[in-house]
Parts: sequence; structure tokens; C-alpha cells
Amino acid sequence: MADTIPLAEAHSLVARARAGDFDALEHVYRAYERSVYTLARRLTKTPEDAEDVLQETFLEVCRSLGKWRGEGSLWGWIRQVAASKALMRYRREKVRATEVLSDDAAVGACEDVPLRLDLEVALERLPERSRAVVWLHDVEGLTHEEIAELMGMTASFSKSQLARAHQKLRVWLGEEGAGP
Amino acid sequence: MSDERHAAAGELLAVRDGEGSAWAKTHVESCAACGAELYRLEQVRAQLRALPAFVPPRDRWAVVAERAKRERRQRRLSGAVGLAAAAALGGLLLVAVQGTRPDALEAQTALRSAMARSQAMEQVLKGVDPDARALGGEAAGVVVDLQRRVEAIDEWLGDPSQWGNDPERQAQLWNERAGLLSALVDVHTTHVAYAGL
Repeated sequence: MADTIPLAEAHSLVARARAGDFDALEHVYRAYERSVYTLARRLTKTPEDAEDVLQETFLEVCRSLGKWRGEGSLWGWIRQVAASKALMRYRREKVRATEVLSDDAAVGACEDVPLRLDLEVALERLPERSRAVVWLHDVEGLTHEEIAELMGMTASFSKSQLARAHQKLRVWLGEEGAGP
Repeated sequence: MSDERHAAAGELLAVRDGEGSAWAKTHVESCAACGAELYRLEQVRAQLRALPAFVPPRDRWAVVAERAKRERRQRRLSGAVGLAAAAALGGLLLVAVQGTRPDALEAQTALRSAMARSQAMEQVLKGVDPDARALGGEAAGVVVDLQRRVEAIDEWLGDPSQWGNDPERQAQLWNERAGLLSALVDVHTTHVAYAGL
């Protein structure tokens, strides 16, 4: 995702927001609402959950924008907040154990039937945790270490999730015969 | 192909990300199948990045701004309300030490009870995590209205000129505050139950 607010302008907006200027906060919201919502849609189960994450993220931005010191991009900071909110929602659900079983069941079912899915559909079909790793790593560019920290897992877990997810995508996209 | 095996998915992904082992980097140069798979993984990543963005179905800025403004007001007011409560309790203690008429004692007891009720409802409200879900439609409107009324009472409680030394008036304000907080709890718990959480 491109950073839509140049760094100098971001510093100016944050200074205004610290002084209580809600127009500056709205400017930040308008610049990043789609990016945050898109990230949330990829990391949560339903559009309603994604909307909640959008709202929670910007409420946190309003509360804590003063904590951004400008070391990285503003989008990078907001993205961390959004990913954290989305993954916190996932952790709350406490369904990890059952999802591991359903992961394997899904793979087995799909290997029996030749499929050629659209990438969007295939991505949606991935288990929530795998989809989150694929999106955060391949699209948002987070390192495995950063993903591990966000998800409370290890970097090697993130790597294995990514590899498994790509193997599933390869089958579902109908490209099973293309590789080694 | 001279190698004994093909590169695993994880090894190819590491090469794609510029982190692969020396063996894997060399292998994909000489193995057509692994080279093709590496290219495919790069293509999938490019296609993922090219997927269109989602557009939020509703504009949430008004709700976010309203809540953020409320939080700021409450942070400012909490100090003032705390001082008012301390002043009220101090007044009660002074009057109790000095001895008063039975009706005055009754008013002081009512004030203490109203304050305790309001504080208890505040804890209950925190427990239902009102910011955990985005309310929509009528529920959001009701919540905003109730919150504004709570803020108005907080402003009165923060301004002693509004209630002077009248414990009955103070008790009335604290009771109204507790009632509004109770209504807020009802709205949020109903919404959570409706959402199936």
C-alpha cells in the first residue's frame, strides 16, 4: 500500500492533531480509511468485523497519534494499530484448536476436486490465520518477525503458515501441475 | 538437473523474499521446474498486491470523532467531577461531625447512595466494553444522546455553582447520572446479545 500522506505533511497533521484539531484527524482518516478497511477485510471474517476494526483503529489513532514520533511512515504506524486490532479480535474468539482441524479438512476436500478459482476467492477460502500471514507478508510487506510479534507466534510459524498457504493457493488456482 | 531434490515451498519463498539459502539460490538458477515455481510465486504476490481495495460501506468518521471528542471531554471533566465528589464527601463529613437535623442526615445518606450507584453503573458500563462493536442506526443515535446527557450532568457536577451546598440537588444529579449510565448499559448489552456475541 502506498503512503498517501507525504512525511512532511504527516508531521504537520500530527502536530495539529496534538493541539486538538479534529480537521487534521479527519484528514488522516480520509487518507487511510480505505487502506485500513481493506487490511481489516483481509484479516477478519466478515465485513461487519472489518467495520468494527476500522472504527476501533481510528479511535485509537485519535487517542494515540501523539505517540507517533515520525521514525517510520505514518501509514506504517496506523497499519500496526489496525493489524493489532484485527488480530486481537481473532485471538478473542478462541477457536484456534478447531480451526487447525478445519484447515486440514479444507485442504483435503480441495485436493479431491480439481479447482480453478479466482485469486480473490482462493484468498478468501484460506483459514483466517493463514490469510492474515499471506496478506501481511506478501502485500503489506511485514517481516516474519513483525508478523510473529503481532500474532503472538514465532517467526518460523509465520514462515510455515506462508508456505502452506501458497501450496493451497497453488492447488486452488489450478496450477498444481506447473511446479516442481 | 544436477541436484538431488527440488526446493521446498518455504525455500522458494525465502529466495523470492531475498533471504534464501546459498543452495536454494543456486538451485533455482539450474532447475527449470523450481525457476518456474519461483516465477509463479512472484506472479501470485504481484496479483495479490493488484487486488482492488475495499470501500467501507458506511462513513464512520462521525462516530469516531464523536467518541474521541467525548473521551477528551471526559478526561478533562473527570478531574473536575472527582474534585466535586471529594468536596461533597468532605462537606458530608464536616456536617456529620458537627451534628445535624434528621432530614439533613437523610439527604446526606441519599447523596452517598446516589454517588455509589453512579460509580457502580460506571464500572458495569466499562465491563460491557461499549467500544467493542460499531453500533449502527438507531442504537448509535440513542447512545450518542445518552452520552451527551451524561456529559451535561458531569459539567453540572463539575461546577459547584450549579448545586451549591444542597445535598438533595447533588443526589438528584448523581441519580440521573446513574440512570443514564444504566440505560447505556442496556443499549450495549442488547446490541451485543443481538449480534450473537
